[in-house]
Amino acid sequence: MTHSILTSRPALGRRFARLGLVGLAAASLTLAGCSTVGDSTGGSTDAADDGTFTLGFAVGGQPDADWQELQGDVAAGLAEQRGWDFVELSNDNSEATATKNADIFIQKGVDLVMMFNGQPSANPVIAKKYADAGIPVITFDIAQEGWYFVGVDNAAAGTEGGTALGELAKEKWDCQVDLVIEAEGTAAGQINTWRTGNAADAIGEVCPDIPAENYVKYEADGNLTTSLANAPGVFAAHPDAKNILVVGLNDQAVVGALQAATQLGRDGSIMGWGQDGGLITGANVDPNLVGSVMYFLEGYPSFAFEIADEIAAGNPPAVKDTGDDAAVSVKPCPVTQEQAAAIPGIDERVAELADAPAGTTAYDLFCKS
Amino acid sequence: MTTATTTPTPTPPNPGLLFDEPALPLHRRILSSFRGPVGSISFTLAVTLLVGLVWIGPEFLSPSNIQIVGVSVAIPLIVGVMASFALLAGVVDLSIGSMVGFGAVVFNQLVAAGLNPWLVALITILVGAVVGLTNAFVIVRFGAEPLAVTLGMLTLLRGLCQVIVVNAPPSTLIEPLYNVTQGALLGFPTLLLIGIGVTLIAAGIVSKTRIGRKVQAVGGDDRAAARAGISVSKVRVIALVVSSVGAAIGGILYVGQLGSASNVLGTGLEFQIYAALMIGGYSITRGGVGNPIGGLLGLLVVAGITNILNITFIDPDYLDLIVAIILLVAVLVDRLRGGDAFE
Repeated sequence: MTHSILTSRPALGRRFARLGLVGLAAASLTLAGCSTVGDSTGGSTDAADDGTFTLGFAVGGQPDADWQELQGDVAAGLAEQRGWDFVELSNDNSEATATKNADIFIQKGVDLVMMFNGQPSANPVIAKKYADAGIPVITFDIAQEGWYFVGVDNAAAGTEGGTALGELAKEKWDCQVDLVIEAEGTAAGQINTWRTGNAADAIGEVCPDIPAENYVKYEADGNLTTSLANAPGVFAAHPDAKNILVVGLNDQAVVGALQAATQLGRDGSIMGWGQDGGLITGANVDPNLVGSVMYFLEGYPSFAFEIADEIAAGNPPAVKDTGDDAAVSVKPCPVTQEQAAAIPGIDERVAELADAPAGTTAYDLFCKS
Repeated sequence: MTTATTTPTPTPPNPGLLFDEPALPLHRRILSSFRGPVGSISFTLAVTLLVGLVWIGPEFLSPSNIQIVGVSVAIPLIVGVMASFALLAGVVDLSIGSMVGFGAVVFNQLVAAGLNPWLVALITILVGAVVGLTNAFVIVRFGAEPLAVTLGMLTLLRGLCQVIVVNAPPSTLIEPLYNVTQGALLGFPTLLLIGIGVTLIAAGIVSKTRIGRKVQAVGGDDRAAARAGISVSKVRVIALVVSSVGAAIGGILYVGQLGSASNVLGTGLEFQIYAALMIGGYSITRGGVGNPIGGLLGLLVVAGITNILNITFIDPDYLDLIVAIILLVAVLVDRLRGGDAFE
């Protein structure tokens, strides 16, 4: 019976469906054949063809980092002000995607690329592609040889944050500090040393009598989840510590330790000072996060456009591609929790920055400390 | 009497046929192949191509764009085709994404330490084989659930990547490997050509050899396969080793393509690959169904849609929605078709 069904003449509708399918496939192949003969350069270069300056922008795409998407929004607004074409992709926190994005921007024929790549291990390959295509690149916070570096002065940020926290410890506890916790993100390398290490050193400058054994490091990996998971071990190892200070790679790392202290009932006398300002504004600021160093990460494009304007004008500046010798060194803005409360939320900051006159930076608008 | 009238007359078996099907003319056989999942996914791919051509224009199939698609799809294709043997044998291997990452990390770190890349490649493949054997040992020897075992291996390998790569990973741009993984041959992505070659070989093994039929038989009904004298354990061990070795090779190729390996490389890759394989006709809960050609077409559909979104600069977050819809439609079509088209 099954045989008879399989071998019977197909119904008329099914035959039409097959014919349609084959026709569709044939049409596609024909079109494909036509298209591969002519244009060998490829790319949707419509924007570049009319001479309009085209900016390619790759956002980081990391989870729990709204500022990365907002960097794209700020850049789009600034490009629109200048009448430039703007195209945006997400690196999706993946080095493979970041590499593919480079190919797409090159195919598109962009004149300049701005990017934050949180997985920079593929940056040498990406740099090779852009160099071969002759496209300049502005990178945020993570340096790469041959790319304009725009980033915060991490060394100063660490020192200023640590100094501010040390001053508070001096004022409230007369420098009687039982524990200084350094919530590290070692994968960030030198940036971690500058932000976390310099902050701890600065606390020692203000309160020189804190014993060396009271300084404790742990791996927070720059995110709240890891920090919250690893911090309890530190508190367990120091059961008698009462006056506790926390510094770290960023706000998430510091807040992870503060939340762990709260969960363990060890938050009676603890103060944290973050970096980057990611968790110091808004409605749910941890009460023990007494301050942070704001970088206004969402506003980085406004600094980068200083370079972009020169490139668009045909006068590209000399490439400065290291943290020590940055093309633009973003000034850190240390703020207490009270001062941060007066700073608008990130969405409002983006809106204000978009409406501000050209050349205005987020630091100019919002750093009142 | 009744028995005598209803007993069918035995027909002599035709040694040229696999499943007692009558010989059909060539054009009928080609058309009938469009009935199964490969037909559905071929149709979907044709629609994807048509949408790309209408929306973007001829640039959609320009050499540079084919290069972009080919480079991005080739490694998942090779990993997916190798992993499909485990699916066919009825044991899903969820650890392939982490194995890609772990293989890449091992290869990258050892090459950066100054060892010969060929030797390191061999070591990496051996590491993949050991991982596959470990999965197989627990699954086959103790009868453990493949999903649970390979999920554990996924976590273990990702943890090892985190332990090994603490600071920024070293850069190891190996020019010959870079040229293979990023280059083109006669205007076509070299790595994609290799991937297609691997797919065709795998398809030949699955559909034309006794080994392939054994794998399908084990995945389709392991008890029946055992009664037929097939060593179910042996087939599954080999399939799991092939799966892990394929992932290790994928890791090596990624290092060639990216010049390094971070501790998150390959994260989530298993879901991308299995989604594409399911769109192409495989099942992660039912062994014995699927064909590498369907897997290739499934990956091309996903890559094509991704590319359309990329080069029109549309938010790639929509990709997940589109892939999910296609996957659901593929599952529904498979159900409506009867669900066992390859069996």
